Amino acid sequence: MLMEGQVTGQSERVLEAASRCIARVGLGKTTLDDVAREAGCARATVYRYFPGKQQLLVAWVDREIAALQAEVLAAAADAPTLGDACTAVVVTTARTLARHAPLAFVAAHEPEILMPFLAFEREDAFLRGAAALVAPAFTPFLSDTQATRLGEWLARLTLSYLCCPSESFDLHDVTAVRALVEDFVLPGFDRHVQSQGVSR
Amino acid sequence: MESVTQVDPLSLRDRLFAATYRCVERFGLGKTTVDDVVKESGISRATIYRQFPGGRDELLLETVGWEVANYFNALADHVRDAPDLTELLERGLGYAHRSVQEHALLRKILDTEPERLLPLLTTEVNKTLPFVADFLLPYLRREADAGRLRPGVAPQRAADYLARTIVSLIGAPGRWDLEDPDQVHELVAGELLGGIVLYPPDN
Repeated sequence: MLMEGQVTGQSERVLEAASRCIARVGLGKTTLDDVAREAGCARATVYRYFPGKQQLLVAWVDREIAALQAEVLAAAADAPTLGDACTAVVVTTARTLARHAPLAFVAAHEPEILMPFLAFEREDAFLRGAAALVAPAFTPFLSDTQATRLGEWLARLTLSYLCCPSESFDLHDVTAVRALVEDFVLPGFDRHVQSQGVSR
Repeated sequence: MESVTQVDPLSLRDRLFAATYRCVERFGLGKTTVDDVVKESGISRATIYRQFPGGRDELLLETVGWEVANYFNALADHVRDAPDLTELLERGLGYAHRSVQEHALLRKILDTEPERLLPLLTTEVNKTLPFVADFLLPYLRREADAGRLRPGVAPQRAADYLARTIVSLIGAPGRWDLEDPDQVHELVAGELLGGIVLYPPDN
């Protein structure tokens, strides 16, 4: 069984194949056999890394989240101000998720699978997790605690606009997101935080 | 057999929503049928299908919407006479969270059939965002009139921002304990109104 941290080329190919299967037929209909066929490997190989569908999906979700985090933190890495970092985090999240074919299928055809993870107590856990993932984008400007607090607030706003899109506000629009961040989030977040450049 | 006199459609719909709600309490979302609602309400199948051409699915969706409206109306009543926006939000957040936590049928369905409820609930809650924003607008204008709105803040934009964040917090407070007045105060003055309302320097 795959140990945590032990990502091999083979298991990576299996997870990529899982992405393609889910994008095509969704979470419900994807089987380990489909994934094996898509990955071009033996069923036994897939089962060695992922003894059941549950284990495969958990690993797959972890991988997708890690990939999103990498994109978001890379986009925010050279942000000269806290406002720029916030804007980069939100816009990159929106753009990356919009391109995510498996998510698009599940959101469109299997919302009842997705929604329990985004509501009430599970949403609390989601927000906490998202905050921890994006906080490194803000630690050049803020303490760890404040960076996490800001991360949670941005995650909350982003999730709201993703789940209930606005006609007048486009999450992909850098200018609009920057205005939201500068007008409502940053002054609202901490009245003593200055959105100013920090030399790197 | 119904009479030929015109029935007030508003009260007819309300009677149907209340009856459907009682059926869901008894049988759950998955098992409630139009026939159950006929028995519970005393209203004919034909009348029900005239009101809800989409049948059971439409009736259930609109019943969820009805209960969501009940919830927000109660919340509005609770905060309506607040003297300013800060107190409105401080008063409202704790109450809003408590009434979600204490909603017995919501708790029960989230435990037993969340995948049936959540798509309906999300749809109906998202529809309330403009109403929450509209409710807040007069309070924002009052802040503007009193010279307490931050320069350059457009009341409609502020109302939209507050509506989204409030609705989000009610369902999932995250790091915030909405029963703790100090935390609520910090949240309201900070994340919610910090960009919207001017605070005196010593606050």
